[in-house]
Amino acid sequence: MDVLSDLKVVELSRMSAAAFAGRLCADAGAEVVLIEPPDGHPLRHEGPFRGDSPGLETSAAHLHVNATKRSVTIDLQSQAEAAVHLVAGADIFLTDLPAEVLDPVGLSWEALHQRGPSLLMTRVTPFGDTGPYARYAGTNLVSIALGAQLKITGDPGRPPLTNFGSQAEYQAGLSAFAGTVANVLLRDASCEGEYLDLSVQDVVSTNLEQRGTSFNLGIVANRAGLTVSATYGVYPCRNGWVYLTAFAPALWDRLKSVVQLEVLDDERFSNQASRLENNDELQAILTEWTLSKASDELREFARQGYPLTVAEDEESLLASEQWQSRRYVSNVAHPAAGTVSVLGSPWLAGEVAVVRPAPTLGDSNELIEGLG
Amino acid sequence: MDWKSGRLPLTGLRVVDWSLYWAGPYLGMMLHDLGAEVIKVESPAHCDPMRTVIDVNRYSGDTGKPLTPEERVNVSQHFNEWNRGKLGIGVELADPRGRQIFLDLVSQSDIVIENHRPGAKDKLGIAYSDVAETKPEIIYASLSGYGQTMPERNAMALGSPVELPSGLFLRNGYLNDNTPAKTGFSYGDPVGALAALSAVLLAVRQWRKSGEGQYLDIAMRDALSFGIGAAFTDWSMNRASRPRSGNRHPVYAPQGVYRAKGDDQWVAISVRDDRDWQAFVGVVGADEWQDADAESRRANHDEIDAAIEAWTSERDARDIESDLQAVGVPAGAVLDFADLKVDPQLKARGAFAEIEHPVFGVEVRATSQWTRGDEPQPLERPAPCFGQHNREILGGLLGIDSQVIDDLEREGVVADRIKVAGD
Repeated sequence: MDVLSDLKVVELSRMSAAAFAGRLCADAGAEVVLIEPPDGHPLRHEGPFRGDSPGLETSAAHLHVNATKRSVTIDLQSQAEAAVHLVAGADIFLTDLPAEVLDPVGLSWEALHQRGPSLLMTRVTPFGDTGPYARYAGTNLVSIALGAQLKITGDPGRPPLTNFGSQAEYQAGLSAFAGTVANVLLRDASCEGEYLDLSVQDVVSTNLEQRGTSFNLGIVANRAGLTVSATYGVYPCRNGWVYLTAFAPALWDRLKSVVQLEVLDDERFSNQASRLENNDELQAILTEWTLSKASDELREFARQGYPLTVAEDEESLLASEQWQSRRYVSNVAHPAAGTVSVLGSPWLAGEVAVVRPAPTLGDSNELIEGLG
Repeated sequence: MDWKSGRLPLTGLRVVDWSLYWAGPYLGMMLHDLGAEVIKVESPAHCDPMRTVIDVNRYSGDTGKPLTPEERVNVSQHFNEWNRGKLGIGVELADPRGRQIFLDLVSQSDIVIENHRPGAKDKLGIAYSDVAETKPEIIYASLSGYGQTMPERNAMALGSPVELPSGLFLRNGYLNDNTPAKTGFSYGDPVGALAALSAVLLAVRQWRKSGEGQYLDIAMRDALSFGIGAAFTDWSMNRASRPRSGNRHPVYAPQGVYRAKGDDQWVAISVRDDRDWQAFVGVVGADEWQDADAESRRANHDEIDAAIEAWTSERDARDIESDLQAVGVPAGAVLDFADLKVDPQLKARGAFAEIEHPVFGVEVRATSQWTRGDEPQPLERPAPCFGQHNREILGGLLGIDSQVIDDLEREGVVADRIKVAGD
């Protein structure tokens, strides 16, 4: 996809949200220049690394999130002019830096907008530009906590648990990308610049399933562990895990037709209410069945449309026929990391974007030669 | 982009929203938030199940009794949450006349979105190929669990279960635990919806440049996997299985979720570097750890956690948050939904607003995430009751004679009530 191939993006980021947005811009064809501090973007310092040996070029997070970008190194303390020059020549400025860093060096929206009235700027920060928390510090975990996604994940009786990775940052990265493309559409029509002030807390607290029932009905949601009920929850299988999803009558009939146990025709399980009443017995019966099956057998049932979903790991997914048919994995040759697998944009729309390896530190420093 | 001046990117575009559950409806709602007119299409025999099927809507009015499906249909707080701002029609798509209404509506529209099981649109004759015959420049987005390609096209994966085949589920879990964990809500839905939104917006730009539409195939599974893409790159380099990391971070130490004062009260704290650590120790007073560098903090994380929790468990989570934030250390109370509703920061951003629903009454809903701050989105239109805008859309937009609509209603092709099948 080359929808953004006429656009230049400058990304100045320290966390993942703006970096995810920059990656998606690059996949959509934009030229993305990542401004890094002289010792490299923080993601370069975040393990795991190739061979579990720390190195600036071989962190998996950097190789994924910064793929297809170019890199320049700029010390904002002493070379801010170079950054301002780069941004002035760009169409889009993506950043997550706090105002106290951007404003003194001429990278505030006001200063940039005055200099280049058609520039688009997206700033994604933990709490946004306004409100009493505007200057507060955040991390992925703090954003998950204050966005109310943390407290509902984990086992009852144990502490709240964040999901793996940087999920608050990822959600905000997707939202920042969508919001930025939305502003591109506005600018295409008006030639005017736009500023997007995106708050990670805003995004996380918007993406909540149970908010309406809680706010308007007072229904309390809390940690439920692996199983919501016998007909909607995760079960262990012989060598993995499977989610059974038979919460509606037609789905229950489908599940019975694959489980093929007479006991499920019992009066105790004849309708949704009775299945809930006899939840524990039903769960025990279904557990015995799932434990007798291997992931491969269950995956075949899933492909035939039975109401179950099988857990996969990195190895099985990278080799999966489905991802081959979607051309979702690119194997790219990186000068330091060797040949590595990198996922493409998560949508199929015409031609699949070419993924290039993440840049080595400062690989495009010629762009700032003689500046700053 | 703002509401005050009406500067919105999709103004003038019309979306046909044939969606159900969460991901598709949320995609439609976000297109509305960006300025599009969104028309939700439902069949009387198969309305969006968020209205009725799932036994999550325990709203029971004053009677204390569960509501029947007919009573639930317009008051579901799940449905009303993700369909605000839309118009709604009830048309039986399995009837050829209903299908024709769908195609006529598409010919007056710019974008179709749907998230039914991949076979459904073919069965009804409203797939991209059917629609593109009458409207070649249409943008048609399908959002599903695994995508429209084989071999997994027909496999079922709703927003919560889809975490399992994405790789995320097996990585989730408490520190060094053997058992994985699932996110406490249908996490594949919002992530899939945001990915689909991105694809639709790119397609709109393509269409404005070239005049050409396209078909978009978005898999919730792929959208979840992209968020942990580093795990796949790691596997390709190292072929190593990694222990579960719980609430810890590869660089920040200490980081954790610590018990605060009160029942089930918690605070999240991240110490990113030595500066944060010095500031943190200054507040907590854990002097014996003052000189610990990052490596030693990681090595002694368990012991440090115990010392931190001894301090936090005596204090209110919000007080810990403000004391640590005052010295620049990232900390946040672990909010529940009641806390969220009154959170001062979200309130100042205009995150939530009231809207009057004709059947339910006053509802509190989230505003657009892109226009918070100075001018949050005013919420003007609640989610449609089933078939609420039949006359307006069929008579007005499509120009169907009102007597013809009468006939269609009599024959059940057009309806403002759902058709309930027995359990």
